[in-house]
Amino acid sequence: MALIELTDVTKRYTVGAQEIRALDGINLKIDRGEYCAIIGPSGSGKSTLMHLLGCLDTPTTGRVVIDGVDVSRASDGRLAEMRNEKIGFVFQAFNLLPKFTVLDNVELPMIYSGKSAKERRARAIAAVERVGLSERMKNTPLQLSGGQMQRVAIARALVNDPKIIFADEPTGNLDSKTGATILALFRELSEQGRTIVLVTHDNEIAANAPRRIVIRDGRIVQNADNWHSGLRAAPSPQEAHT
Amino acid sequence: MNLWNSFYTGLREILSHKFRSVLTMMGIILGVASLLTTFALVEGLAKKSREMLNSLGGVETIRVFKKEPPREQVHIADLSPGITIADAEALREHATLITAVAPVYEQSATLEHGEADYRYTIRGVWPEHVIVQNHKITAGRAICQLDLDEAAKVCVIGSRIVQELWPKDPNVQPVGQTILVNSRPFTVIGVLEHYESEDAKRARKEGRPVPPSRYGSRFDPYSRKNSTFLIPFTTMFFEFKSAGGIGSSGSSSPIPSFSSSKSNSSTKDDPGPNYRLDELAFHITDPQKMAEAQAEAHKILLASHRGIEDFEFENRVEWSEGIEKQNTQIKLVGGIIASIALIVGGLGITNIMLASITERIREIGVRRAVGAKGTHIFVQIIIEGTVLAVIGGLAGLVAAFGLLEIIEQATSGDSQGIVNTQAALASFIFAVVIGVVSGIYPAWQASRIPPIEALRYG
Ligand SMILES: Nc1ncnc2c1ncn2[C@@H]1O[C@H](COP(=O)(O)OP(=O)(O)OP(=O)(O)O)[C@@H](O)[C@H]1O
Ligand SMILES: [Mg+2]
Repeated sequence: MALIELTDVTKRYTVGAQEIRALDGINLKIDRGEYCAIIGPSGSGKSTLMHLLGCLDTPTTGRVVIDGVDVSRASDGRLAEMRNEKIGFVFQAFNLLPKFTVLDNVELPMIYSGKSAKERRARAIAAVERVGLSERMKNTPLQLSGGQMQRVAIARALVNDPKIIFADEPTGNLDSKTGATILALFRELSEQGRTIVLVTHDNEIAANAPRRIVIRDGRIVQNADNWHSGLRAAPSPQEAHT
Repeated sequence: MNLWNSFYTGLREILSHKFRSVLTMMGIILGVASLLTTFALVEGLAKKSREMLNSLGGVETIRVFKKEPPREQVHIADLSPGITIADAEALREHATLITAVAPVYEQSATLEHGEADYRYTIRGVWPEHVIVQNHKITAGRAICQLDLDEAAKVCVIGSRIVQELWPKDPNVQPVGQTILVNSRPFTVIGVLEHYESEDAKRARKEGRPVPPSRYGSRFDPYSRKNSTFLIPFTTMFFEFKSAGGIGSSGSSSPIPSFSSSKSNSSTKDDPGPNYRLDELAFHITDPQKMAEAQAEAHKILLASHRGIEDFEFENRVEWSEGIEKQNTQIKLVGGIIASIALIVGGLGITNIMLASITERIREIGVRRAVGAKGTHIFVQIIIEGTVLAVIGGLAGLVAAFGLLEIIEQATSGDSQGIVNTQAALASFIFAVVIGVVSGIYPAWQASRIPPIEALRYG
């Protein structure tokens, strides 16, 4: 069974009399250990999809099953547990707490998983070291560069040892060089067996990923599903896009 | 998420907005301060009343008063001798729940010593009088049975009499000196303590001017008690009451009833002096057995009054209960008003917390994204409100002491608050409850924001 499975998922917003179909009949399976990139033009529904996958939101219709749990109808509390235990989310805007130090920010998810203060500290330090920021543990996010902030966010996403990491344009606010180091970090995590789904605008970044999902107007228009099963059989990124 | 963590988070949030937090807490601080101040001031008043009650003989003292007999007995009312010394003797002999009986004859008399002469009401008493009236002797001794047996011309005097008769000599030792009572020489055998309220005592010790009595000097119970002039009961009878009232010139006391004396002597074995008493009071063994003691005394007096119910009892239980009841009422009213202040303070917390939540939606979103449940957010905000209320409550307790000090200074020591732990605890707990309650609405609002909307905000 796939780690992530979406069946006929739609997400509609009604703004006044107008109905926006942000997602319109999504069927998708992602297996354990996959590394896939979701790409598509602005407003195509990438973030909406990511929020559903990340248990931050629920679909209007359809089923979202993550690690055997149907999260499309789950309670607020159950969704929070999923986000806490199984999912690490990395945002384009970092979303760190500005008044907290790097360590405190990284500890945050563990506060909600009931770990002891000692364990929290130890794991937070390990995660911060993992992303190469051991020098800046006592700094607050405002004293860090964008790339450093995103690495703190990644450390926070990793700290509860989740099965899946979702990243919505993690390099969107970074220059290309810094972005590359972040992407390298994701690759490493993928090689260690974590399932990674990231959203990007950038074809080059998408090409970097073994699997590529192209989305347009709330529909999946291309799903290069065989990319990771056999590199030779996969179409080149350019072909897939057009 | 454990409680300590939430507490710590709450504290950190409060500290990072010190000014706002102080403003928020102000309502709680003032509310608690006014609540506790009210309680303390009422308690202070209550203490004064209790002191006064005690100085007048405490709750154990019951007084016997004359009353109109019931209608069916009016036509035979003359059969009763009234309240006489026979009543006192009957009580002393037969009552089991009474420790001391104090009959009093009163008489207005002129006191003289050297240049000084004054008119005073002098009182003929039994030795038990000092027990019933809670008198304390500071020098010499009290009147004893021997004085009565001998009808000795001795007296025990209050501090005010000492002041009046020895106006130029504040350190006089009157015991052993002779004074003239309606021109008859009497030896001072004892001096009573100087009675005063705790306030007056404190003021005197600190060298401050003694605050004027709340009752005016004429009706001040302390000053009346200080004007006590006691002589043996028998001395009073033989010197001033018998033989057609020698020296009773200007007397305001009722003319002794000879008819009742006569009628009584014909039926009693001991035809002792039987004039109407000016006062009869007794002390009971146990204030808990007030009703039984009173019933017993009623039975005894009914016998000595030949079944005519022309007397009634007055005890201070009602008075004491009246004091307590009044205190409860003032506390209630004051408490309600102060509570309103506290509730307004709570509304202040609610208001500011709602505003701060709007400011913190993003933070809430981040917490939600990493796994906080709605309940976690709810608890966090409740705890923040509670921490504010706890700090505010503690500050309010401190402020109450300041407020009481100011009030005491402003009234030059007349209004003194007494802070008891119970009231302090009650005010504090109330503040904390208010803090928790005022956090509920903002906390509920905050916990209901969908994670994704919270993240997108701002
Ligand atoms: N809360 C909302 N209310 C109304 N419409 C919404 C809401 N959220 C998203 N949409 C709409 O849904 C569509 C998909 O939005 P989404 O944010 O998923 O796009 P995206 O692919 O992430 O775009 P971008 O690359 O610019 O981030 C858009 O048309 C957007 O306007
Ligand atoms: Mg987006």
